[in-house]
Amino acid sequence: MKYTTFNQVNNNPLLEPMFFGNPVNVARYDQQKHHIFEKLIEKQISFFWRPEEVDVSKDRVDFQKLSDSEKHIFISNLKYQTLLDSIQGRSPNIAFLPIISIPELETWVETWSFFETIHSRSYTHILRNLFGDPSSIFDDIVENEEIKKRAADISKYYDDLIFATQLWQTLGEGTHTIKGETHVITMRELKKKLYLCMNSVNALEAIRFYVSFACTFAFAERELMEGNSKIIRLIARDENLHLTSTQHVLNLWAKGKDDPEMAEIAEECKEQATQIFLNAVEQEKEWAGFLFQHGSMIGLNKEILCQYVEFIANHRMSAIGLGQPFDIKNNPLPWMNNYLSSDNVQVAPQESEISSYLVGQIDSEVNSDDFGDFDL
Amino acid sequence: MSKNTSSFMVEIKHHKTVQHQPNKTLLESIEQHVEIQYHCREGYCGACRTKLLKGEVEYQTDPLAFIEDDEILPCCCFPISPINIEIS
Repeated sequence: MKYTTFNQVNNNPLLEPMFFGNPVNVARYDQQKHHIFEKLIEKQISFFWRPEEVDVSKDRVDFQKLSDSEKHIFISNLKYQTLLDSIQGRSPNIAFLPIISIPELETWVETWSFFETIHSRSYTHILRNLFGDPSSIFDDIVENEEIKKRAADISKYYDDLIFATQLWQTLGEGTHTIKGETHVITMRELKKKLYLCMNSVNALEAIRFYVSFACTFAFAERELMEGNSKIIRLIARDENLHLTSTQHVLNLWAKGKDDPEMAEIAEECKEQATQIFLNAVEQEKEWAGFLFQHGSMIGLNKEILCQYVEFIANHRMSAIGLGQPFDIKNNPLPWMNNYLSSDNVQVAPQESEISSYLVGQIDSEVNSDDFGDFDL
Repeated sequence: MSKNTSSFMVEIKHHKTVQHQPNKTLLESIEQHVEIQYHCREGYCGACRTKLLKGEVEYQTDPLAFIEDDEILPCCCFPISPINIEIS
């Protein structure tokens, strides 16, 4: 079906499924089929923040003091986070918007993606502070084999859905041969691709971010790189909300509260969905191995980090009805919770070092020896 | 909307029974006694998802995280009757 930016059919959006119904026409929020997305939009907007508000200037001094293995951990993590948010800043828009059929979900996806672009901009903010020219760091993201391996696995479900949607929009359902390759496009196949893609996104938001979050907060536990940690706390808060949204979509489908065909597909593809999650867990453990290849850091090593991934995975998987496949029962990194709690995120400007709050961006630090040559 | 002023008993399956403390969330009341997972403490992440086996709770903030019909988010609710819960 051809996409139209303003669908002239006078449809009732309350009767549309979340995806693959009529394209959205009027962006109205006075009535909603699924209220949760409107609530998520409001919550997300209330979280608005700008990277420049967080003073990261002290991190530069801290960074010089880190050992080489710690520098490797810190920079590799930033590269991986940059990759994840590069993908998330565009992909939900490109993959989901053309096939969404209700206005509140359409706006949620746009709001969600917009926040991912704030995250991307904050990585530039952090890196520009650490290095005069961060080009080599960014360039390595498309050259580093460890990162590329993950990028391929994350983007393939998006790419698959996007390509199939394009064929469906231009050629409709049927068997199409493009450049010698045959593609069977049916509504059922499209919905399956959507289902798998949503599971892959859910796994991304649920666990892929958490290995790097743990490293960031482990530095902060030692009072190192605290500007960076403040930014990552804000990012983690947003990601939690994004995760909630994909969990809602998956559960609305599985429980038959939206498109009944999606409930069938959820049942049919449960094994594949589980596998997507377990693959993400394995890849994150491999990533932990890569991070600590030159040595651990105080308070964190590969084993504990892998246990934490399993612990988080149990929680996240049970939230979407995939059970708890790992044995671990207790949180191996209990201090993580302090950094993920929203109580510790929202601070009044005068209580934190928000640079835009400082008059003329003057250094706020005054030491007693600054008054050394003062005579009264 | 009722006020969070009573101190109902909270029976936690496989753990002890504790007393809810007025003006605290259910999470704040029970976390001193049992290990319970939490992240946001504001009802949007779902980390503290808990089964409500018996009794009733009321929310002080709208829970945004996905929960099953028999589940509650202790971080943003308080009991309005004696309750039985099971922590996953």
